[in-house]
Amino acid sequence: MLSIPMLKHNFKACIVPFIIIFAFLTMYTTVIIYMYDPKLAEMLEGYQEVLPEMMAAVGMTGVATSLIEWIKIYLYGFIMLLFPLIFIIIAVNKLVIGFIDNGSMAGILATPNSRGKIIITQLLSLYIWLFILMSCVTAVGIATANILFPDELDIKKYLCLNAGTLMLWFAVAGITFLAACIFSDAKYYYLFGAGIPILFFFFNMIGNMGENLKFFNYFTIYSLLPADKLIAGNSEAVLPCVILFMISIVLSVTGGIWFTKRDLSL
Amino acid sequence: MKPIEIQNVTKDFGQGKGVFDISFSVNEGEVFGYLGPNGAGKSTTIRQLLGFVKPQKGSLQMLGMDCFRQAAQIHRHIGYLAGEIAFVENMKGMEYINFIAQLRGMKDNTRMKELIDMFELNPTGKIRKMSKGMKQKIGLVTAFMDSPKIVILDEPTSGLDPLMQNRFVDLILEEKKKGTTILMSSHIFEEVERTCDRTAIIRQGQIVDTVDMTNLSKIRNQVYTVTLSNEEQAVRLSNQSGLMVQSREGAVVKLLVNNNVAGSLKILAQYEPVDLQIATQSLEDIFLHYYGKGEEKDA
Repeated sequence: MLSIPMLKHNFKACIVPFIIIFAFLTMYTTVIIYMYDPKLAEMLEGYQEVLPEMMAAVGMTGVATSLIEWIKIYLYGFIMLLFPLIFIIIAVNKLVIGFIDNGSMAGILATPNSRGKIIITQLLSLYIWLFILMSCVTAVGIATANILFPDELDIKKYLCLNAGTLMLWFAVAGITFLAACIFSDAKYYYLFGAGIPILFFFFNMIGNMGENLKFFNYFTIYSLLPADKLIAGNSEAVLPCVILFMISIVLSVTGGIWFTKRDLSL
Repeated sequence: MKPIEIQNVTKDFGQGKGVFDISFSVNEGEVFGYLGPNGAGKSTTIRQLLGFVKPQKGSLQMLGMDCFRQAAQIHRHIGYLAGEIAFVENMKGMEYINFIAQLRGMKDNTRMKELIDMFELNPTGKIRKMSKGMKQKIGLVTAFMDSPKIVILDEPTSGLDPLMQNRFVDLILEEKKKGTTILMSSHIFEEVERTCDRTAIIRQGQIVDTVDMTNLSKIRNQVYTVTLSNEEQAVRLSNQSGLMVQSREGAVVKLLVNNNVAGSLKILAQYEPVDLQIATQSLEDIFLHYYGKGEEKDA
């Protein structure tokens, strides 16, 4: 049910953006872990008092009493959301809409491969890339923490946090993938496939800025990530993660079916 | 069961664009031309045959299978060249040819190599930097390399120089001998004339006629543009009996000559022309001639 030549092509097509995004995430992850220092935490708490909105917008609120909380506050409100979003937009362009927009999908579909087989291969490639990205970042995080602060990081909680965040990435990828399956023109793909997640991202920032702006959190998928509950080991974290996963499945399947039924002006 | 069967197919894109209730079929081993001006609906028909676009009404079948629902099964036996061929980004020529070969699940690359030699293609560079002709050759190689039963070509010779156009005609004749069924769209009469057995003529989304090529070349005229030494002579020539005069402008007379070449030249010689140019009638002239005055009202 998968096309091996397409899988190989997809690997080559996405490797460069992957390396760039992974390099950024590695840099931030190591730097943030390196900066972990309970004294610095107090100082940053001071920043939060002086510039509460600014710090809150990028998710940097609360007091870090442990390394995992420190990581959650300074990485999972901004860095671990924005960079993967950029990767998703580039990857879906390379995997789906690029072929439709420039017409090269004609050459691919003129071979004895059904539309279903091609689009499933592309979708799976996208999810595999995101899984690899998260796995690599997790490895970097654990390795850095072990070198700089042996036994400080609660690895189980870190894995839970990353698993939940991966579900969020999948859901965002679902939005972008669906847009790529519906539109023929890269312009509309960017307008919806990139525009909607970016809008969600901004709503998330605004929603974090203060009590009276909190209603913005109802209009963004990013607020579904139960980061606090995940690192608290709270079982309430399971449901939002399942919901995120369901969103990604529904959007992806809809996109895939749409692609097999639509007219392609190739 | 014919290899290609199209019955009452309508796909309306609005504003008169699309195809309307078209029907034709292609016999096994036949080279079938699909002739019409740009925007007539040739590519729309071909996209439906390839299963990229669904018809609103009617049915399209190849090898007895539905072109949309069973596209993947059909494509095992089909070679296709798109009208405006687009390649996967950032690939080298050979890389693309191999990519398509892998997608087709091809095991034998001898035909591929033959075709590359035939078109003197050097596919080592980046496709992005290649000329239109080079790209077209790559497209032709990918269309024929899997020895398909049916080949669908949308404007196959665009971008090819005259030498390569001849190679292309040789290729089509060679495939015809093998019994390959070929559907080829074109707006160039000569190319269709040299290769096709039958041709459907499409205009504004409708098939105006399907003609046997031997018949079509009979009714096709040559245009002789004769320049005479003075206007007086030209006026006399245009009143000469036994010639079909199309127009006269100053000392230049345009004549339509069909099969009476020797007779026409004899008459012309008496007028001692200064210059004579012979051109084949353009496709539009053919349309007007073939369909007479009936076409003028919507032309």
